[in-house]
Amino acid sequence: MRALVKDGVGIFSPQGFLDAGSAGVLLTVEDIHATTKLNADMILVSLKKVVFFNRNGLDTFVKMFAKVKEKKNISVGFCDYDVKKYKAILNFYRNEVTFSLFSSQEVAHLFTAGYKNKNQNVLLYNEDKSQRSAMAIELHDGGHNPIIAQTEDEFKTKKNADNAYDVIIENTYLGQMGQNVAARVTGNAIIYTVSSFLDAEIGSIFNISYHNNSLNVGFRLFIFDAYKVVSMNVHALNFFSRLASSGAEYNATICFVGMTFEKTPTAFKETLEDAGIMFFDTMESILGDKELLSELGASSADSGLNRRVINKLTVTELPNFIDATVATIEMMTNSTAVKESAQVNPIKIEDHTDKIASSIGFYGDMDGMVVLIFPKDIAKKACQLLIGEETDDLELILDTLAELVNIVGGKVKSLLNDHKVSVNITLPRTYPDIDSLLEIAQDRKGVQVDLSFDNDKFLFFLTR
Amino acid sequence: MITNEKINNFIEKIPPAPKALQTTIMFLNNGELAKAAQIAETDLALKAYLKNIVNKPIYGFKNEVSEISQIFGILGVSSSQQTVYNYMMTLLSPKKWELFKLKESTFHELQAKLSRRWKQILEHLNINDMEIESAITLLPASIIVSEALFSDKKEDVELLRSVNNLDLNTILSRLCNVDLFDICEKIAVKWEMPLNITQIVQASSGFKPLEDSDLNLLGKWMHLLLFYELSQPVFIEAGLNDFIEFQIDYVGDIYDDFATLMEVS
Repeated sequence: MRALVKDGVGIFSPQGFLDAGSAGVLLTVEDIHATTKLNADMILVSLKKVVFFNRNGLDTFVKMFAKVKEKKNISVGFCDYDVKKYKAILNFYRNEVTFSLFSSQEVAHLFTAGYKNKNQNVLLYNEDKSQRSAMAIELHDGGHNPIIAQTEDEFKTKKNADNAYDVIIENTYLGQMGQNVAARVTGNAIIYTVSSFLDAEIGSIFNISYHNNSLNVGFRLFIFDAYKVVSMNVHALNFFSRLASSGAEYNATICFVGMTFEKTPTAFKETLEDAGIMFFDTMESILGDKELLSELGASSADSGLNRRVINKLTVTELPNFIDATVATIEMMTNSTAVKESAQVNPIKIEDHTDKIASSIGFYGDMDGMVVLIFPKDIAKKACQLLIGEETDDLELILDTLAELVNIVGGKVKSLLNDHKVSVNITLPRTYPDIDSLLEIAQDRKGVQVDLSFDNDKFLFFLTR
Repeated sequence: MITNEKINNFIEKIPPAPKALQTTIMFLNNGELAKAAQIAETDLALKAYLKNIVNKPIYGFKNEVSEISQIFGILGVSSSQQTVYNYMMTLLSPKKWELFKLKESTFHELQAKLSRRWKQILEHLNINDMEIESAITLLPASIIVSEALFSDKKEDVELLRSVNNLDLNTILSRLCNVDLFDICEKIAVKWEMPLNITQIVQASSGFKPLEDSDLNLLGKWMHLLLFYELSQPVFIEAGLNDFIEFQIDYVGDIYDDFATLMEVS
């Protein structure tokens, strides 16, 4: 069984009866190994569809948690349970609960730095005062507004107030939280959150492959949210200097926001500035200034310096890319997808109205990026199998389009592998409109293919 | 990936129940065990299946039982009919399983376990009804149908499930507006199985509760029994644990009773 990663959280979803026998087969050594390699801020086991478990069954997953924490130092735990299951888990492990317990995935997401909806009003209660405080601190750090109920009665009264809170937290327990450098995407900038003392450990808690993939997929502005950094030593200084040097190849900009140098030598700041790192007092001073964003490369993720022409290998393998796209659309829609025309030129989209797009990068023996552009309604149709219901929720449609392009990427990888071409794929990106796509793809030369299914047209673009 | 045309082709290719089986079932329906055994003896494959299945440990016979008349005599009318229906299902199963890591013997093991435990449940519920006892035999048809429809799409299914937690039943119903249990119903109709059987099996999907509360209750027990068995290591290893989605809320009110009966601890 493998975890499904969404929004930085990897979820295992076992179902049925969980005891030593079943859990041992559900989670193999290979599965645990694969989990330690996942790009996730948190690993959870959902108990939503588990009707029975015993301690031996949970132990298999708890051992996996220990391995993941040892390798990646991220948060781990169980989620999606009722009060009976919550009490049973606490009872099984009593004073040795080394993992977290989140009553739902929504609650768990509040404790991840990558959570999209900040500023949530959260009512929380736990009979253990230290737990209440720990949760409040984590939520506050994550940009939410925690309201602590000091007694059960107070909690019940507040809980019954209509629409007073966005989320209510109960039956939740915080184990040791992860200390990985959490990453989130804001527009075309990637924000990493770092805290406390920055030392040699930064090398192991910073996900360098995520960073490199982000560079590959076209991100050019990386902001370190350093409000909570107390100090930095020479090992961390070297790490950030090297990071800035390697990013220079891509014309990437690295910024630090909110870093005070009260307990860090000011000479360090100069060294970092020499390496090209910029310093800002507040996040607002970057994200709120469009001109500055543009200058730093975040409004135009493609700096132009990394723009390369389609090469022979890409053209040779083009049929595989188109086959992967056609096969995926056919699989998702049960209709025949048809290639209508193909030409090599800079991306050209006649009508920008109501169109959305998604892209995925690949790198390895060859590199480049596949972009799919759909009219919004056609995207909904193409994603019907994944969405499952009628929706006009743009965020959901974009998320699902990202899943679709992820499948295309997986198929490309597999087809190229058959031809002994080894590539890895990046995380998918989505674009809510054509303007945001053009910020990264404008003037890029590539192969543009018009495709259709059920006479619904969409566009495929392969570029480097 | 899966089209209605493919489903229709699959249903069209289901052979009618062999004459010997039809006659055996007819005699069993009339309670004529000796005549049923006499006819069953003429079908060598049926004979071999019956011998193999009733000598499995779950049936608990101390000595090997080899004669059909002896088997029917020990099983009684209801369980004999149930076992003959189980054999009919195996006629649909593939020679080689591709989607699921199953062997013929493992599939028979699943049939035997479901059948015995279903009987135990019916005894617990004080239900003595031949048709209801046979209802469990249709349930594994959902596995056979999954194998038939998805075996050549294994990679696509894996790719799809690597980005979205969809079970095979949901994929099928979203693509074709028909689910695995609807196809099971069509098999049952083709084999002239009693209506009760199809109704209970449809309810056992977990998301199509019946208005008839008695039959719906049986649907709940069957859904939970299926996941109890599919949580056994051998069936998890075969990839059966998540081919359909477990509807935990559907079985909430009977779980404690089930756990006591099955001695789950």
